Amino acid sequence: MTDPQDTPPDDDSFLAAEFALGLAEGEDLANARFKLANDRQFAIKVAAWQESFAHLTDDIAPVKPPRRIKKKLLKSLFSKQRLPLLERLWVWKGISFAAFGLLAYLAIPMLRPVPPEVPMPVLAAQLKGQSGPLELLAIVEAGGTEVGLRRIAGTAPEGRVLELWAILPEQAPLSLGVLPQTEVMRIALPAVLAGKLGQVTLAITDEPVGGAPDGSPTGEIRAVGALEEI
Amino acid sequence: MDRREIENLIARVALKDRAAFDVLYDQVSAKLFGVCLRVLSKRAAAEDAMQDTFVKIWNNADRYQSNGLSPMTWLITIARNTSIDRLRARKSGHQDIDTPGLELSAPGPSPEQAAVAGSEAKRLIGCLDGLEPDRASAVRGAYLDGQSYADLAERFNVPLNTMRTWLRRGLLALRECMSQ
Repeated sequence: MTDPQDTPPDDDSFLAAEFALGLAEGEDLANARFKLANDRQFAIKVAAWQESFAHLTDDIAPVKPPRRIKKKLLKSLFSKQRLPLLERLWVWKGISFAAFGLLAYLAIPMLRPVPPEVPMPVLAAQLKGQSGPLELLAIVEAGGTEVGLRRIAGTAPEGRVLELWAILPEQAPLSLGVLPQTEVMRIALPAVLAGKLGQVTLAITDEPVGGAPDGSPTGEIRAVGALEEI
Repeated sequence: MDRREIENLIARVALKDRAAFDVLYDQVSAKLFGVCLRVLSKRAAAEDAMQDTFVKIWNNADRYQSNGLSPMTWLITIARNTSIDRLRARKSGHQDIDTPGLELSAPGPSPEQAAVAGSEAKRLIGCLDGLEPDRASAVRGAYLDGQSYADLAERFNVPLNTMRTWLRRGLLALRECMSQ
C-alpha cells in the first residue's frame, strides 16, 4: 500500500499514461484494456498521452531502410493474389461451407441464363468487416452490368446508411450507391468498370442518410472484399 | 510531411488501395525505421519490426479514424509498440502492448479535443526537461527502451512501489506542465 498522500486524485490519468508507456501489468493492464474499450474519457486520456509520448521520437533521425524490405513486404502482403486461379483456392478456405452454399444458391437464380457455348466467368467476393458483424456476398458475371449482393449478417449503424464502393488500383473509390435494406440487392455497375472487374475491391462504409455528401467515403469501413474469379 | 496528405493516404489504405500503401511506405518508412532502430539497436531485428509494422498498418488502417490520434502518432506508436514487443519477447510472461487501432477502443477525441491534445503534446519535451533528471530518464526508458517497473526499479536501485510512486509524481507534474 502507498501512503494516502502518494495517491493523487486522478488515478485514471496515471493508468492511461502507464498504459500508453507499456508499464501497466496484470490487473492494471486488464483494467486499462476494459476501460479503453468502454470508457470514452479514458480512451481520450490514452490518446492524449500517446500523442505526447510520440514526441519522444522527434529527435530520432529518419533512416532509409534497405530497398529489399519494401520488396519483401509487398510480396508477403500481395503476392498471393497474383497466383493463377487454381492456386488461389486458399482464398476460399476462409469462407465457411455454409457461405459457399449460399453463394451457389445466389449464383444460379441471379445470373441471367448464359448461352452454353460462351460460358462467362463469374466473380465473387466475400465482404467482411474486421470489427463489426457486417458480412455480404457479392457476385457478378465478367462483362456483367450489375452486381448481386446477399446480406449474411449485420446492418447499418442506427441513423446511418451503408454505401457500396468499387475501388480500382490507384484510383479513388467509386460510389456504387447506397445499399437498400433488403437481403438481396442488385446494384448497377458503371461502364468504367467494364473489363476491370477482376481488379475491383468492393468496400462498404457507413454514411449519413442519403449517402456520402461529396462522392468520397466519409464513414468507417464496415466490410471489404476483393472480387475473385470462381 | 503534410498531416492531411498522410491522413488521406491512410484513408485510402483503409480501402485497400495498394498504390496509396506504396506511397505511404515511401513517405514514412525512414522515420519508422529510425524509431525501430532506436528501440531495437540491432538492424536485423529493426527490419523485421518495421515489416511487421507495415503489415499492421495495412490490416488496420480502417481503424485509424476512430482513435483520434494524429496520423504520424498512430504510425509511430505502432512502430514503437511493435519494436518493444519484440524487445520484450525474450522475457517470459510478456504480454504484448496494445497498439492504437489494433485494440478495441471507445471512440477517441473529437477533432477539437484532438487539436488541444496535439498542442499540449508539443510541450512534452520542454516539460520533460523541467522534471528531475531521474524521472525524465525513467519516462524515456519506459517509452524508448521498453523498460518495465522491475527494470526501472533495478536501474534506479529503489523498491518497486517507490518506483511507481516516483513515476506517478513525474507524470502528474508532466501533465500539469503541458496543460499550462
